[in-house]
Amino acid sequence: MASIKLKLPQAAQNAQEPITHSDGPIVTGTSVLGIKYKDGIMVAADCLASYGSLARFRDVNRLQAFGERTIIGASGDIGDFQYVQDELEKLMIKDFCLADGHELATPHVYSYLHRLLYSRRSEMKPLWNSYVVGGVHSSSSQRFLGYVDLLGTTYQSSTIATGFGAHLAQPLLRKAVEGREDTLTEEEAVKILDDCMRVLFYRDARSLNRIRRAKVTKDGMEVTDPYSLETEWAFAEHIVGYGA
Amino acid sequence: MATSSAKEASFSPYEDNGGTNLAIAGQDYCVIASDTRQSRGYNINTRFAPKTFKLSDKTVLSTAGCQPDGNMVVTRIKQHMESYKHAHNKEMSTPAVGQLLSTMLYMKRFFPYYSFNILGGLDKEGKGCIYSYDAIGSAERVPCLASGSAAALVQPFLDNQVRNCNQVGKPRIMAASPVSHLSLDQAIKITKDAFTSATERDIYTGDNLQIFIVTRDGVEEQVHPLKRD
Amino acid sequence: MTSIGTGYDYAVSTYSPDGRVFQIEYASKAVDNSGTAIGIRAKDGVVFAVEKLAQSKLQVPGTNQRIQGVERHLGMATSGLLSDAKQLVTRARSDALNYRNSYSASIPVKTMAEQLGMFMHAYTIYSGARPYGCSVVLGGMDDEGPQLYMIDPSGSYWGYRGCASGKGKQVARTELEKLKFDELSARQAIKEATRIIYSAHDEAKDKEFELELVWISAETNGRFERVSKEMVAEAEAYTQALLNAEMDDDE
Repeated sequence: MASIKLKLPQAAQNAQEPITHSDGPIVTGTSVLGIKYKDGIMVAADCLASYGSLARFRDVNRLQAFGERTIIGASGDIGDFQYVQDELEKLMIKDFCLADGHELATPHVYSYLHRLLYSRRSEMKPLWNSYVVGGVHSSSSQRFLGYVDLLGTTYQSSTIATGFGAHLAQPLLRKAVEGREDTLTEEEAVKILDDCMRVLFYRDARSLNRIRRAKVTKDGMEVTDPYSLETEWAFAEHIVGYGA
Repeated sequence: MATSSAKEASFSPYEDNGGTNLAIAGQDYCVIASDTRQSRGYNINTRFAPKTFKLSDKTVLSTAGCQPDGNMVVTRIKQHMESYKHAHNKEMSTPAVGQLLSTMLYMKRFFPYYSFNILGGLDKEGKGCIYSYDAIGSAERVPCLASGSAAALVQPFLDNQVRNCNQVGKPRIMAASPVSHLSLDQAIKITKDAFTSATERDIYTGDNLQIFIVTRDGVEEQVHPLKRD
Repeated sequence: MTSIGTGYDYAVSTYSPDGRVFQIEYASKAVDNSGTAIGIRAKDGVVFAVEKLAQSKLQVPGTNQRIQGVERHLGMATSGLLSDAKQLVTRARSDALNYRNSYSASIPVKTMAEQLGMFMHAYTIYSGARPYGCSVVLGGMDDEGPQLYMIDPSGSYWGYRGCASGKGKQVARTELEKLKFDELSARQAIKEATRIIYSAHDEAKDKEFELELVWISAETNGRFERVSKEMVAEAEAYTQALLNAEMDDDE
């Protein structure tokens, strides 16, 4: 079994070895999915924080609102995410204190996250996360959906999936969403995300069927309470070594 | 205890996000083109992530390799050009940006920007001009150039079609000469052909082709579809 | 004032024979010259009100604000030298940030009052220093509910149900004392604060003034918010109606 390795403090490390600050994530969250739809942006993530293969925390919120119209979904190290949440909170307070009538819109938050992650990767002290940043501009109603990760890689797209979701859910999302960004209804968007989260639950061993979903529209944001996806396991009875 | 035994792969600050760039310089124009696919391993991140950027009315910069590093190079060059403009009340010339980029890359000699750049535009005489770089700032002016994931596919094609290498009865254009003899139309045609072919063979190239045409009238941008498989 | 001009008022590090520090008292004079600032601690929130005297008709409304946010749940109204006050706000914000960095939580109002009080006090004990020429009305909502403190130039502070500083502090305090704080909601307090600022305003000496109003209450989700135009208009109408009634009584 690939064990989780905790590094001793710098002084205790073997002097022959190079200093390693972060060898990898410890407590982790899996995929985050995000799509554009008619009214705005919809993002989903499950409530699990794993410790290696152990399902350690089962009621974790990986969706963080920034102001009224920006949602951030995090996968990767939960500790690093909590640090980033603190930084974002401070950014918000700073912005509030300025009281200049300007608001930090989604692209600004996205850029901030990008610079934070890129500077930390350049110090070789990466924040081990992939983020999905979504939002709708308060006056222009323009939608924004972007990705940023521990290397500082950025891209924008009408469908985004992090982690395992990039393999399993992204093809499904593209098929369902591409070219239909302006016509998909809220109900359709919910179904697409629920279906993809269900597929992930069936095949991603680090996932949970308890999920949260957030939508951002020009009227504001709504984050659901955690809810469970319906799953079907009867087939397992007929598979040798799977069921009883 | 830490020993010299097998360890987990430690953090690498680099990743190759793929993508191909191409540039052809003529007597009075410069063509700079890139595909718009951004990849990570076998995944396509997005089908439209521009990596070529207009810096001024006579200079364009394209990047390939590690996307965050390329992005940083572009951002810093833009910042420097802005401050140059305020300091000297004129736009930075393409050769000046060319030298700046070389210096900027070499300054990070021991933690390089993993970015394969092409700088294209017009020089002070209005001639097409292309600068070729490696990741640590070695620079050279060339008449035509390919860089990025399909560079090994595209460069020989350009050598043959633009510089007449291995062609019987046609005058060869030396690698060190500043411009090609092609017309703008011919250059654009060759550019499109180069990318359709590269898209066939290189999995990191495809989706869309972005062409920037620099002439004395400014920079024109075109976008053409490529195969998305 | 006794002992003035006898050499005991040059430095803040010198007491007078009767035990006073004149520089602090002079700083308080600077406070007394400025427009009135009041704070009310109501049942479900705090209200700040400031009589911002216009220096000129050319001044743009909404500039040089004297009530400023420190954190989302915490704000301060100031009277005295505005630039001194701005420095204190900056200091308060960095104290709040510091607290947040240590505890990942918002700074309690009492802690803020203590820290800012000690900061101001430091300017009253060294000979080279000039005490801050302003009083700070500090208020907010924390785990203890609505909180209100006032810090004076000496750095000392007390908790209040209602407090006032600046030109009209005497009138304002008299009016504040009449309020029934145990029954007062923040929404009502806005009206009373408006009335008190108007009654403390001396029309003979100062003409134009801008009313600044901020509240932090259950109704604002514990957040520092400027009172909306509609509510200000409502409060001013309430004040006007009372004044008219008084005039009728006089006749």
